[in-house]
Amino acid sequence: MPALCLWLALLCAGPWMAAGKQEAVLYDDLGHSFSLAGPPRRIVSLAPDITEILFALNLGPRIVGVTRYCDYPPEVGRIEKVGGLVDPSLEKIQVLHPDLVIAFRGNSIGIVNRLRSLGSPVFVLNSGTSLAGVLEVIKRIGRLTFQPESAGRLCRELEDRRRGLELALGNVGNTPRIFLSVPGQGFWTCGAQGYLNDLIIQARGVNIAGGIRRRWLNLTREQLVRENPEVIIVMAKNLEAFRSMRDRLLSDARLKAVGAIRTRNIRFLDEDSASRFGPRLFQALEDVARILHPERFPGGL
Amino acid sequence: MKTPLKKPVLLLALLALLALTIGLSLLIGPAPTSGRDLWNFLVQGDKTYATIFLDLRLCRVILAFLVGACLSLSGAILQGYFQNPLADPFVVGVSSGASFGAVLCLALGFQTVVLGVPVQSLFAFATGFALVIAVYLLSQRKTVFKVETLLLTGISAGALASSFTSFLLFLRSDSFEQAVFWLLGSVQLADWRQVITIAPQFLACLFLAQWLAKDMNLLVFGDEAARSLGSPVERVRKAYLAAATLLAAVSVSVAGIIGFVGLVVPHGVRLLIGPDHRYLFALSSLAGGVFLVACDLLARTLLSPTELPIGIITAALGAPIFIYLLHKRT
Repeated sequence: MPALCLWLALLCAGPWMAAGKQEAVLYDDLGHSFSLAGPPRRIVSLAPDITEILFALNLGPRIVGVTRYCDYPPEVGRIEKVGGLVDPSLEKIQVLHPDLVIAFRGNSIGIVNRLRSLGSPVFVLNSGTSLAGVLEVIKRIGRLTFQPESAGRLCRELEDRRRGLELALGNVGNTPRIFLSVPGQGFWTCGAQGYLNDLIIQARGVNIAGGIRRRWLNLTREQLVRENPEVIIVMAKNLEAFRSMRDRLLSDARLKAVGAIRTRNIRFLDEDSASRFGPRLFQALEDVARILHPERFPGGL
Repeated sequence: MKTPLKKPVLLLALLALLALTIGLSLLIGPAPTSGRDLWNFLVQGDKTYATIFLDLRLCRVILAFLVGACLSLSGAILQGYFQNPLADPFVVGVSSGASFGAVLCLALGFQTVVLGVPVQSLFAFATGFALVIAVYLLSQRKTVFKVETLLLTGISAGALASSFTSFLLFLRSDSFEQAVFWLLGSVQLADWRQVITIAPQFLACLFLAQWLAKDMNLLVFGDEAARSLGSPVERVRKAYLAAATLLAAVSVSVAGIIGFVGLVVPHGVRLLIGPDHRYLFALSSLAGGVFLVACDLLARTLLSPTELPIGIITAALGAPIFIYLLHKRT
């Protein structure tokens, strides 16, 4: 029985098995074990999501390499770029002497394996399917970087923001049907398995693609007309990109029957905060909630 | 036709080019290094520079050389085999079969590594080879085996496999980016294990090709004539097809589909030295290796630290050289 309890306790601890007091052994999302002897001092981040989380944990000064897509916060500009998501330069990473490389889903698995075989300590994280998953990733990075307290603090802050929003929304009666337009050719949006679907639900909206078991998918005009969204939220890098997508939707004669297009209810959402699996996702949550239920936020949030 | 270039001249020129491209490839990279760093590494054995110079750059150069040599030799064999200058290593469907296997692996999410070899490479190798065997058996069902039937069956089967590949890519658009990188070819992930896998296969095939080169020279006069001159035509054909397929499949499985090398390099070498296969095979291999090392050098330095797929460079660099040769020497 005690053995069973211990086993259950370990199971609940999940990937956070600690072997010994000093040396923590973690398992990454590819199942590789990872032991850290001390706080990492030279971190390479292979995704903008990771970079933002590291900065949010005040680890900016310890980052020695990022991708060319890492552009937030602005201080990231002075950090060495090691390449892109699928094609980071092995050489550049090697000369940076990292004691921790954090990779993300979307990085080429070949690169990750090659880095590991060259002796770089790589930790691979998967993005989750919900906002709670962000907190999970933050906590794991906190653990990995010996900053569990500040990770805990950040998670509590974000959770408080989410709860505040929940209170503000209260029991809103109407849940508008929305089409969340993700950048890309055609009409890309997120399906049931994407974390943005969770974001829409928490902002008290209904994702018109929420019944489709995919992460991302490209809707047809037929689907748009049939699902008839009341609001279209366009994720865009800037207002210019937003306007061009809005004009494309408004001028498309085949979409005239869509409610949101008839009422010109097309709104802007900052792509960077919504497309990165990091703390700014909670800002995006508030933005979407404000778009869907403006009456609940008379004086701003 | 001008008089063929002297073989030793071409050999020396290629060796000089090889030395030059290897030297440059070792010194140039995203991590700034100088000749002094190389010297310091050679004298003192600095560990970081050991990784950069040996595990990353040298390993990559050798792999690029071997892949280029394999593709070029495979093309040289098949151009002789089909008596057709348009033949290349992928003509009987190896590349389409192999890319189907690789993309299938991506689509199914298989990412494991078996005995140090990514399962994706194994898939690519197996499907590429299986497709050619199927094509061969299909074209043999008629009582007489005809080379044209093999060629046409190969092209059709390749088209079929390509359509499956496109279908998979369409279904799993999230793995698209990685698949594209693979479909355009790259030696970015070179490691010593790949070098060790590919080197003996290349050497064995080169040995076989050289050994049978006289028979290949006879095939130029037609199968009947070659047979009457005492050449075991069927066995020679089988051996060459197997070798060419093996070479193409193994290079695709480590580096993806790198086009143009296998078509242009052997053809160019033939324009320079004439059609004697005893020299054509060896010199084509060498030229293909040098060519791919040069292309890889450009692929990784032009937009550094971003790497271009090598297939873009092979076509961009190879086509003008080839057109020049065609006009100059015919």
